[in-house]
Amino acid sequence: MRSYQSVLILKPDFDETQVGESLEKITSLIKSHGGECLKVDKWGKKRLAYKVKKNRFGYYLNIYHTCENEKVSSLEAKYKLYDAIIKFMVLRLDDKELERAMGNGEAEETEGNGVKAEAESKKEDAGKQDEKESVKEASASDEKKEGDE
Amino acid sequence: MGTASTRKRSFFAQKICRFCADKADHIDFDDIKSLKPLISERGKIVPSRISGNCAKHQRQLTRAVKKARSIALLPFAVET
Repeated sequence: MRSYQSVLILKPDFDETQVGESLEKITSLIKSHGGECLKVDKWGKKRLAYKVKKNRFGYYLNIYHTCENEKVSSLEAKYKLYDAIIKFMVLRLDDKELERAMGNGEAEETEGNGVKAEAESKKEDAGKQDEKESVKEASASDEKKEGDE
Repeated sequence: MGTASTRKRSFFAQKICRFCADKADHIDFDDIKSLKPLISERGKIVPSRISGNCAKHQRQLTRAVKKARSIALLPFAVET
């Protein structure tokens, strides 16, 4: 039995109760594939980097679970059929990664702030990034010139 | 050659791997805050010769970025 990490994106118009319902459904799905939920993280509603099924936002769920090795592909097929999930990714974890995930989780939860705070920090990051980018661009062009010389 | 390298350095004072500086042994794909500065405006991964990352961490970074892209945390391409 291997351990896996499933990152799921649910529809953005779900409220907490609907998320809870779909989470129950997903955990029962994992159990029916001979697995067990180890840890569930709710990353919350986030802006997607690109449109997924015409959605600009998505509700992220991060589940660490075990699953029988042969049944992972059928679990993925079930994820695909479940219409609340707009995108998903299943990753295989080795022992080290699993240990880290179980250890780190508590620290992350305390850090985990509301959606608003995250949005604000994102804006700040974007501003900083722009500044850095301009510097990088300058250095890149500088390097090219040197090459020409 | 020597003068050229010093001139480059003046632009980028610290050419140190930022992950080595943090003593990070791995890079999480969900840690967007640390990945964002290593992505260009168009969504490309910044090469290590510019960012100064070591080879080991640059490999981990590319894997993390590609995972983050596939789950819509980072863009594949940014239209301008």
